[in-house]
Amino acid sequence: MNGLMSRLFTIARAEWQLWLRQRLALGALLVFALLLVATSLVTALKASQEHHERTHQQAAAEASFLSQPDRHPHRMVHYGHYVFRIPAPLSMIDPGVDSVTGQSMFLEGHQQNTAMFADARASAELGGFENLTTALVYQLFLPLLLIAIGHGLIIREREDNTLAPLLAQGMTGIQLFAAKWMALAGLSLALLLPLAIMGAIAASQGAAVLASAAIIGLYALYVLVWCSLILLVSTCVRSRSIALGILTLCWLAAALIVPRIAVESASSAVPAPSKLETDINMQAELRTVGDGHNADSPNFQQLRANLLAQYDVTRVEDLPVNFRGMVAQSAEAGLTEVMNRHAEERMALEAAQARFAASFGWLSPVLTVSAGSRALAATDLATHHRFLREAEAVRFDFVQGLNRVHAEQLAYRDDINRNRDRQASRRTRMSADNWKVLDEFSFEPAAAGERIANASTPAAMLLAWLLMLTAIGILAARRMQP
Amino acid sequence: MTTMLFAKALSVERSGQRVLNNVSFKVDQGEVQALLGGNGAGKSTTLLTFLGFLTPASGSAQVQGKESRDDVGAARRAIAYLPEAATLYDHLNAYENLRYFLSLAKADAHRRTLDAALERVALQAEAREMRMHTYSKGMRQKVAIALAILRESPILLLDEPTSGLDPAAIDDFNRLVRELAEDGRTILLVTHDVYGACHVADRIHLLHKGELAGTFDRPSGIDRIDTEAVHAAFATHAAVS
Repeated sequence: MNGLMSRLFTIARAEWQLWLRQRLALGALLVFALLLVATSLVTALKASQEHHERTHQQAAAEASFLSQPDRHPHRMVHYGHYVFRIPAPLSMIDPGVDSVTGQSMFLEGHQQNTAMFADARASAELGGFENLTTALVYQLFLPLLLIAIGHGLIIREREDNTLAPLLAQGMTGIQLFAAKWMALAGLSLALLLPLAIMGAIAASQGAAVLASAAIIGLYALYVLVWCSLILLVSTCVRSRSIALGILTLCWLAAALIVPRIAVESASSAVPAPSKLETDINMQAELRTVGDGHNADSPNFQQLRANLLAQYDVTRVEDLPVNFRGMVAQSAEAGLTEVMNRHAEERMALEAAQARFAASFGWLSPVLTVSAGSRALAATDLATHHRFLREAEAVRFDFVQGLNRVHAEQLAYRDDINRNRDRQASRRTRMSADNWKVLDEFSFEPAAAGERIANASTPAAMLLAWLLMLTAIGILAARRMQP
Repeated sequence: MTTMLFAKALSVERSGQRVLNNVSFKVDQGEVQALLGGNGAGKSTTLLTFLGFLTPASGSAQVQGKESRDDVGAARRAIAYLPEAATLYDHLNAYENLRYFLSLAKADAHRRTLDAALERVALQAEAREMRMHTYSKGMRQKVAIALAILRESPILLLDEPTSGLDPAAIDDFNRLVRELAEDGRTILLVTHDVYGACHVADRIHLLHKGELAGTFDRPSGIDRIDTEAVHAAFATHAAVS
């Protein structure tokens, strides 16, 4: 066994020596390394800057809300509040859908302001080409480099007539395949070193070590898939130019064509109404809930009757709670129920589109690795949806907290007379201490275990790709002839 | 004498075409034999069959008494094979090439051993550290022969070893082949150089369109096979085809 490994390593080492001595291979490696270093630096700096900015903005928004003077609580409902999604540490590797989704949200009463997707296009476009990230360099450019360097691994031996002497030394075709695979895999894994460094930096900034390790493992699996594909083509094809052509076509299909087909198919298979259409439908439904600013609206007659009966009084003026505040609470609950239902429906459609698009990962390892990478980096669609839900929970809590202050601390008589009576108006100004109903917002990525579980399907798909391509390659190598 | 190579009624097909038909010959230890013939005669096919790269359609190809297809590993361990173009790696120098192939064959690759083999094939010391792409064909051939020597394989299969060499290099090569045979190596070479084959071989097998068309032995006490007789037979077959 040691003897065999030593022979395989000898061939692999000779290949590395060749790449180091060939100007073309060395040049390509250097260009890729420079691109990777530059992209990694830019992505890491950008992520760090965004982290700093959003942390600062979140604190500033909270301070601004809490520093508001004494005033009517409903003015605070409309004053509103901002929440910011602080980028996950691993977004320095893969910003995922963050670049196409909103990172901040204005929270106010009676409205859900959100950056929703128009369709699956944004989620499935792999982040787009406009932002070159470390993840994109690994997903798109590393396979190209491996193709350029590795397409001739076995064909070259055949074309240069060194295959026969190699096999005549007692090597079998499978051993030669394994040795060349080791050479290419060794180079590929070495090129993951910058990714490992970034993973370590992310871990030092709070990313779960397990998630950082998993993202490196996922990309290792991905590059090994390309190694097996390249070796398979190099084993089966008899001309370097044809192998290069086939592998370039494979790259085009995996990186550009299949993702585009996946996005278009997802949009067709899971049609989603446009934002405008959704908004019009939602507004029509919201009108049936009633305007919380108008306590005399027929929509709140039942609430009035219930409260009068509950407190055994005949006039709202005699209620121990402010009827207007109670109406505001009821209206907000009703509006939120409608808005949440529409938001959930929309998010379910987006998730279904994303799932449909992800199933094309069986045709493209690029799609597969990008889905897994986003899940592990906590920059996927599911994480964005969680941000929307958590932000909405904060919005609802602080609005209802203010409405509760309105209902329980502000006298109804003062409330209805505040525009006519200066003293009443002064008394409706609630203490700023009440603004502490606002909870601090801190959006955290899902636990590492959950993210790894989410990435397990893409990882399993990549493993299936790897096993299938390697098995076919070994079968082809068994019949290797000079 | 031990029989090292034995083709027994050997027939081989490639891509559905019979390229070797019922060919029989044997090579004993210490002998130099040549397969002579034009293009497509089946010479290289015979070598590849002994190496186990091709499987006989019928008959057998035996190496040291064993069917090569039954134990390809053993056959290849016993054989040092030099393909037509001395195939070495251009980006490596002579030492690196030798070390590479020897390590694959699990043979000794110490610098002193390499130098001894390169001395024997008369490769200049100053050339040994130069990369192979700067070598002439003759120099490459010398390195390839050095490799065969270092492999210490009892059998050498040489495919067109003198093709493209200048006359002085051919003389050097023929001398070396004879020396190796005297050391006990068994050599089967493939060539279409009638003159060279007559000078170096103990026996020549003339192949024509996959069939054995004649065998010529070196008479005892004479240093070469009758060139004119071989040439005449070769020319006759060439004219017929």
